Parts: sequence; C-alpha cells; structure tokens
Amino acid sequence: MATIKINGKEITVEDNTLILDAARKAGYEIPTFCYQADLMGIGSCRMCLVEIEGQRKLQPSCITPVLHGMSINTDSSTVASARAGVLEFLLANHALDCPVCDKGGECELQDMVHKYGPRTGRHAEPKFKFHEKDYVLSQVIIKNSNRCVQCMKCVRVCREVVGRNVLGALGRGDHQEPTSFNRTFLDCDMDGNCIEVCPVGCFMRLPYRYKSRPWDLKGADTICPYCATGCRMVIEERDGQLLRARAQLGVGLNSETLCARGRFGCDFVNSAERITKPLIRHQAATWAEALASVKDGFSGKEGKHIGGVAAATLTNEELYLFQKLMRTVFGSPNIDSSSRWNSDAASAFIHAASMNEGGVSIFDCMEADTVLIIGSHISDENPVSEYIVRRISSNRRMNLIIASPRAMKLDSSANVKLRHLPAAEKAVLDAITLVINAGKLSEAEKLKAIKDSKMVDLLTAAGVGVDEITDIAKRLSASQSVAIVAGTEFLRFPDGTSGLALLKDVLKNLGKKVTVMPTLDRCNQRGAWEMGVHPSFGPGYATAEKGMDTEALLEAAMRGEIDALYVVGEDIISDYPDREFARTALSKVRFLVVQDIFMSETAKLAHVILPGASFSEKEGMFTNQEGRAQSIRKLLALPGKAKRDLDIIRAVGELFDGSFGPKNAVLVLDEIRQVNPMYSDVSLLFNNKKNSDNRLDNRAALVKCAAGVLPAAGEFASKAVSSRMEEHSFALVTGSHLFHLGRFSRKSETLLGLIKGATVEICEDDAARLGFVSGEKVKVKGKNHEVLATLKTSTGSKSRVAFIPESFEDAEVNRFFRRGEGVPRVSITRANQ
Amino acid sequence: MLSDKAKKEIEAALKKYPNKRSAVMDALRIAQHDRGGHLERSDMEDVAAMLEMNPVEVNAAAAFYTMYNIRKPVGKYHVQVCRNISCSLLGAEHIIKYMEKSLNIKTGETTPDNRFTLSTVECLGSCGTAPMMQINDDYFENLTEQKVDEIIKKLV
Ligand code: SF4
Ligand code: SF4
Ligand code: SF4
Ligand code: FES
Ligand code: FES
Repeated sequence: MATIKINGKEITVEDNTLILDAARKAGYEIPTFCYQADLMGIGSCRMCLVEIEGQRKLQPSCITPVLHGMSINTDSSTVASARAGVLEFLLANHALDCPVCDKGGECELQDMVHKYGPRTGRHAEPKFKFHEKDYVLSQVIIKNSNRCVQCMKCVRVCREVVGRNVLGALGRGDHQEPTSFNRTFLDCDMDGNCIEVCPVGCFMRLPYRYKSRPWDLKGADTICPYCATGCRMVIEERDGQLLRARAQLGVGLNSETLCARGRFGCDFVNSAERITKPLIRHQAATWAEALASVKDGFSGKEGKHIGGVAAATLTNEELYLFQKLMRTVFGSPNIDSSSRWNSDAASAFIHAASMNEGGVSIFDCMEADTVLIIGSHISDENPVSEYIVRRISSNRRMNLIIASPRAMKLDSSANVKLRHLPAAEKAVLDAITLVINAGKLSEAEKLKAIKDSKMVDLLTAAGVGVDEITDIAKRLSASQSVAIVAGTEFLRFPDGTSGLALLKDVLKNLGKKVTVMPTLDRCNQRGAWEMGVHPSFGPGYATAEKGMDTEALLEAAMRGEIDALYVVGEDIISDYPDREFARTALSKVRFLVVQDIFMSETAKLAHVILPGASFSEKEGMFTNQEGRAQSIRKLLALPGKAKRDLDIIRAVGELFDGSFGPKNAVLVLDEIRQVNPMYSDVSLLFNNKKNSDNRLDNRAALVKCAAGVLPAAGEFASKAVSSRMEEHSFALVTGSHLFHLGRFSRKSETLLGLIKGATVEICEDDAARLGFVSGEKVKVKGKNHEVLATLKTSTGSKSRVAFIPESFEDAEVNRFFRRGEGVPRVSITRANQ
Repeated sequence: MLSDKAKKEIEAALKKYPNKRSAVMDALRIAQHDRGGHLERSDMEDVAAMLEMNPVEVNAAAAFYTMYNIRKPVGKYHVQVCRNISCSLLGAEHIIKYMEKSLNIKTGETTPDNRFTLSTVECLGSCGTAPMMQINDDYFENLTEQKVDEIIKKLV
C-alpha cells in the first residue's frame, strides 16, 4: 500500500496504482484523451499531466504509478496552463468544423476546450489537412482525419480488444493518421468499436451520418437483443425511429464495446415489415375478434393436445407468465423455448454446465489457470465474450485452449488450438479424460492403458492426434483451477454433454477448482430455461410433469394429435433442423396462434396472428449466459395496434380465468422472486446501475443456486462423422454468423448491407485442392437440398468441414438436415457445373 | 511483386532477428531497393505476408520513416537535404534553395530525365558536419555551393 497526498488530501491506495486512478478515487477529475482502462497505456496525449512535488517536469498521470509519500497536485496553475497548451496544439491543425461534425455535442475535444482550453490560439500557420473530403472506410465507418487528436484508441481497440488489427497509424507527429492499410476499404468485423472509442468526430458511423444531434436523441439503457453475452447498450431514437445503439465506458460487462449485431443491428425494430395489427386467417381483425378466435380455438381442448413454444428472445417475465399460462390455465406440460435442439439435450447441457448451481461470471472464469473453450465458435457467436477473453488472456499467464472444427480469430490468443471433426466434442473430451486418468499410472501402465482403451477409436472419431490431446491433458492436470466454456454445439450434438460432465467431475476429484460457463446464442436462452419454459422442469429447474418439446409436438402434430398450439416469437419452420417436416407437421395443427413481430414462415400458417413488441418497446429482464439478470428498458412506442407480449399472454389467460396474472411486469417479477429461489434477490435497480470505477463485474446480478438438484441426463447416440469422404464431400455445420444471428438480423438494413447473400466457408487447403477461389459462387448440394452460395475460405479450419450460417434466407440451411440423420454430407462444386 | 532475389534477401535477413516482425525495417529497405527507390502497396503486402504481419502494421512502419518512399517513385539519385536544427543554423535553407536552382526543380520534385529527386529530411545524425545531405546511401557533409556543384557534376 502507498500513502500519498493529492492536492493536500491524504489517501492510501494499492501499490502500483496509477496517479490518475488514485486521483479519481480521491474525487479529483483529471482530463484524458489517450487513457482507457482496458487498453495498454501509451501516455501520448499529455492531457493528464500533473505536478509531483520535487519533480521539475509535469508527469502524465495515466502511466505514472504512485510512490509512497508522493505529493501530487492536479489543479495548480502550472497544470492548468499545461492543459491549455496541450489543447492549443491539438487545435493547431484541427478542422474546427463542429457545425457539420456528427460528433458535435458529445465530443470530448469540445468539452475539454470548453473546460480547460485556451480561449485563443496563437498558431498563424495554415492548417495541415490530411484530405479534403470525409472518406468512407467501410460500410459502417466514415472518416475525417482532420479532426484526429492522435490518441490511438481506435488502433489499440482494434488490436487489443477486437483482435482484428486492421488499423494503424500512418506517418508521424501531427501528420500521423490512424487509418486502414493504404486507406483502403476495410473488410473487417464491422463492430464499430473504433468509432465508439474515438473521442472526436474522426471515426464516425456511416448509417447515422447527419441523422441527428445528440441532444435531439432520446435514449434507453438496455440489453442487446442478439446473443447471450448480454451487452449493455443505450438505444437512441428520434421521431420514433431507432437511430443508433451505443455502449458506455465502464458500464455493463462489455464497457465501451459491442459487436456488429449489437451496434448496427437494432434497426430491425424500424422495419416496415413489422406486423402492426392482429390477423385472423391473414385478414385484419380487432384485438377483440382475435382474442375471441383464440378463445374458440383453445376452448374445450385437453391439455395433452395443447402445446406452447416461446422464444428465448422474450423477457423473463413473459416467459414465466407463458409457462404459467400453459401449465395452470391450459393444463399442458408441453412447453419449449427452442426449435433447434431437443429438450433432453437442453437438460443434459444445463446439468453438465452446472447452470442450476447459479451464475458464473466470465471474469471469474478468466482467473483460472486454464480456460478451455469447446463447442463454441466464440469469435463469431459471442464476439464481446471473445473480446473479454482476448483482453484478459493477453494480460496474464494462463493457458487458453480452443477446441473447434473451425478456425477463429481468438486462435491467435490460444496456447493450444485443437481442430477436431464436427460433432466430436464427446470423443475429444473423453480422450482428454482418459489421458488425465492415465496420468496417475506409471509410465508402462500408462502406455498399456492407452493401448487397451478405446483411445484409438476416440482419436479417430475426433480426428485428432494423441500428442495434441496429451498436451491439453497435461496443461489441465498442471492447473489448480480450470474454467470450461461450453457452447451451443453441445445442444446440437448432446452426446458431448456426458463427456463434459465427466471431465468436470474428474478434474474436481483431482482437487481442482472447476467452473463451467455456457455460451449461448439467444439473448435470453438461459432465462427461458430458468423461468421453466421447458417440458421437464418448471421455474428454477424444479421438477415438473414431463411434457412434449417442440420436436415431440411436431411428431404429435404429424399424427394429428395437436388441437391448439401457441407460438410466441419462434419461427419453428425456419429453425427446426428439418424444414419440410416442420412445415407439414404445423399445417396439421388444428388451431395455430402465432405471436410475433414479423411474418415468419410459421406465422404464414397461423390461424390467428397477434402482433407483439420488440425489445425496444417493452420492459423486463434478460438473463445472459453467465446468469446475470439484467433489465431492458422501453424506448419506443408500439407500432400500430401491436401490444406488449406480457399483456397479450395475460389477455389470453384472462380469456379462461379472469384472475390470471400477475397483472404487470413488476408484479410478475415479484412472483418470480418468490417462486424461483435462483431469482429471489434479483432487482430491477441494481443491474442498470452505473459503475463509477469501471467495475465491469456486477456480481450482484448473478442468479443464485437452484433449490432442487437436476438429475443427470441419459446417454445420447453419437452423431459423429468419419473423416473418410469422397473428393467433393464435406460435413456440413451451422451456427451464428458474425453479422447475423437468429431472425431479427435479417430485418436489419445495416446488417443486410454488410453481407449479401449466403456464404459457405471451407478451409483454404480444401479450396486449393478443388481449385476454388474465395468469393466465387459455388453449389452446395446435399441429399435433400441444394443452394448457391459465395465461397469463403478460412485459414486453419479442419479439412472437409463446410459451414453455412443459420440466418440467411437464401440458404435455408435447415433444409439440408433430416430428422435423426446427424451431420449431413454435402458436395461443393462450381456454380456453373 | 517482390523479385525472387529480394525474397531471398529478406529470408536471409530474417535470421538476424529474434522474431519475424522485428525484421520489418530491413525487409522494407530490401523491397524498396528492389523496386528502385520506392514502395508500392503490393510490396508492403508481400513483406507483411513474409513476416506474418498485418499489412497495416507494415504500412505504419514504412510511413513513420522518411527513408521509405511510399508510392512516390524517385529518380536515380534521391537527394535528401537535412533541414533540422544544426543544419539549419549552418545554412541548410540556403543549400536547399541552391539545390532547387541547380537541379531546376522544387523540393519534392523529380527532374524530367528522372535522374534526381530532391527532398528534405529531419536530422540524419550527422550534426557535427552540418549542413549535410544524403544521396541514395551516401552522406555528403560540410556542404557549400561549390561542393554541391561538384557533387552534381559527378552524377550528371
Ligand atoms: S470496426 Fe472493429 S474490426 Fe473494423 S476497424 Fe473498427 S475496431 Fe477494427
Ligand atoms: S481517430 Fe479518433 S480514436 Fe483514433 S487516434 Fe484519432 S482521435 Fe484517437
Ligand atoms: S456480443 Fe452478443 S450481446 Fe454483445 S453486442 Fe454482440 S450480439 Fe449483442
Ligand atoms: S491520458 Fe495520459 S497521456 Fe493521454
Ligand atoms: S540537424 Fe542535420 S544532421 Fe542533425
């Protein structure tokens, strides 16, 4: 600890605390440009100079640590004139074109000059200009380098946080311009984090160009509606249009970062395709008529012939009320929250990932000696989680192990990257466990054990080498603490969950601290399960009467056994892995009610369509993958006659039971707190509280341990693929795209502008072998379906693996799948062959 | 495109450094020489590929130093006159003007016969012999009008 004096005030801080942080802690504001807590300090802008007694020169407080006994002055006249001087130089070449700058009104340079600046400038020389006109740097960035203050935050965020490293500072001194290689158009992650960190109007949002002034915007502090990382963001509107989403420094686990989907994808709420009135058999109707029709459709039907599917993009309150409606009013246990994987897979995953044991912070995981990421293409699926992993892993000694069939951006931070065959998570994990267990034997015994065991089979099934597995096992064995980050592949190929559970137990038995964190691809998937939207458990994973999941409901519908189905926000036809089956089955449902914001494929078959609300038009809570319950806030008015989903679900309940409720979101949350012990402490207040000291880990928001014990799930049939295939044949895998996730992104103008049409990704070597080049059109042909897609090559992916993202309308990837057939094989040929 | 010879030279240079990216300056020097005095985009891309760097990092390294001429072809002789403090105190300004007059071009220009390019640079670390200049890889020091005349005469 060091005791120092700041402006005469004595405070004690940890050794090595930066003077800047110490001063802020003591309550003194020091202006900065280049300093940002999450980035490497470069001390380049000199805005933060302070006086240290006994030292002749002023020192930059953002890179100078305190020393015991230091006496520091942050607001002497010397400091004040130094600040003014720095600003005078920053303005020497600055364009001072605030009236036409999009940053005007929220510009750090404006604010600083206003507060500390010189009132006049003495520079008489003509100003240096990098260029005359603003230039477009990517589909989302427009740039004016003449306003730059050379803080290098853009370059650093792109390198250190995003990991893309496509920005650099060209030139030197005041002629230094942060931009792309040779100022060329960028083909990057499009997350706009460079825009967000830029203190001035240098990196600017292209979609928001000249749309508004900050003071004309109205904002709401909310949560991103895409993946389950659960990034905090402020969405802002003007004249009823959502104009932008931005993150805030030091707020939420994401601080100032977002990914392309979050930052640029929320414009889907403005879409002209929103459903704005109730429809009965696709004819406009009043709410009274629509509800009467729902009443008719459900009246007199037995619970076992009724079903409900509610999307994992709804709020906890809505999901809770939905399952309550299904279970208590309709007497139906047939409820599910996903059409992509079956409910047993979900149970097994929840069990293997210990989700019932309460929330696990990603920041805690990143304190482990070894972090193993498996079953997740985290770079594309949960980009901001990936940023956190990159940032922290580069700052401490630890092992980062990534096991995935596909190469990813995070590989460059990994100590070990294992490329295994698709759907082979179980084989990989079992092989690791085997080697760890063998580690307890003598050398000779070990060899024998490995020889006798199914090791060879496992290695073949996984398509990996014994050395790679041994290396991973060694690193795990040598660690005191291990964190396993397990992704959605475990839900697609649930046989992996037993491998996960086993490895977890083995490591625990060796006395290691083991945490498992799930990564999920719907903003409230975890909430949906914890609210009990699942056919075998109720809120808080409490045992419930077993019902049918989406798959079983479709099978029953096929047999003509489903009288009424209530679908909220889920597009079963687009998401179920076997499109034709889903469509036929749903067309046999006697009464189908779909509540949604867009006319989905499923909605097209509905008898009654109820227009719901987007995340920006309602209040409630999402629980992210870590188990952080965070509230979303209403910003916009509902379009047309649309209603909030909570109100619609309650209205449906009231048709049959006038007392059905609770009657509003706050009361529903109260009931959740009582019914679900995991949520007994959650509050609408704490989770949107601003963290003053960049304290990103708001642990109070983590849900608690469930009361009941979740039973281990049974074994699942393996769906692994063999590596032996014909020349043009590939194993097809799917998942989220960096720019697209679920269905909302398909209605986002900006995101659709980033990528035109479907892509299929294979590894470079395969492309070379077949004579394909990146960017050409290819035909992907499976047993049941074929699509034309643009070929993308990746470096370092497993050979013979083709990836088509889930969310493209022109490549309905679920048509390649057939129920019960596992990973499909496809052939890839030139489009014109 | 880098010539095979340049590629080989870069490969050889790599051995002198603890890791590939540390060789960036040397590699750029070789590449610039290979092209005859300046760097094109593709040269920086090639160097980036060989050194496993991102092209923008190579671009940033090249753009930082005046000794690399990015997309600015230079004449056979690249005359770089120092104009930093010591040289200025001892008449650099005059030497530059004299140079412009003798070559009949302005600073930053190349003679029509592509023989000379004239530019100014910051301190070349030879202040003790100011004023001075560099032509291609050689230093010319303690410059006077007469000396400049002789030097140019030799090169024409
Ligand atoms: S959008 Fe992201 S990846 Fe692209 S330049 Fe900016 S920070 Fe880098
Ligand atoms: S562009 Fe913006 S973020 Fe980048 S150096 Fe300039 S002022 Fe800083
Ligand atoms: S990482 Fe996920 S939660 Fe965060 S901005 Fe991107 S899509 Fe939204
Ligand atoms: S903030 Fe300290 S030098 Fe820039
Ligand atoms: S100032 Fe010219 S060499 Fe140093």
